[in-house]
Amino acid sequence: MPFYQTWEEFARAAEKLYLTDPMKVRVVLKYRHCDGNLCIKVTDNAVCLQYKTDQAQDVKKIEKLHGKLMRLMVSKETHSGSMETD
Amino acid sequence: MVLLENDSFLTELTRLFQKCRTSGSVVITLKKYDGRTKPVPRKGHTETFEPADNKCLIRASEGKKKISTVVSTKEVIKFQMGGLAF
Repeated sequence: MPFYQTWEEFARAAEKLYLTDPMKVRVVLKYRHCDGNLCIKVTDNAVCLQYKTDQAQDVKKIEKLHGKLMRLMVSKETHSGSMETD
Repeated sequence: MVLLENDSFLTELTRLFQKCRTSGSVVITLKKYDGRTKPVPRKGHTETFEPADNKCLIRASEGKKKISTVVSTKEVIKFQMGGLAF
């Protein structure tokens, strides 16, 4: 499965995938200190989205998206209006 | 797989990150969790299980060591503050 080149595209696709079936989707973060890179994968076992980076500025973005997805997972409302604002 | 409380999970997670400094990687998986501890019953069997929709499951692994925790709505903010800051 391809790696996304731009973060914006990845973030949008990841959120969309999550909202199609929240129970199926998992978010995987993989961090390699020795190579200094971080990879985020969002998948529902049929579609797999990946983004890889070695830039510190991207880590903040990944953390933000991760936090947002976590909040969505624990909120009772499966679809939230705040998704589009960011 | 060791299921930990939120606080001890974060402590262990820090330890995993320290362990991977020279080689190896840490993988963190985030998934929505409905509280199910038994498999979905086969056809013809009634199900008494009521899915909860306000939990998420977090797993982390480094090499052979695996830890996991369940985070619910009221703890999520605290959890995010305490951890997942790379």
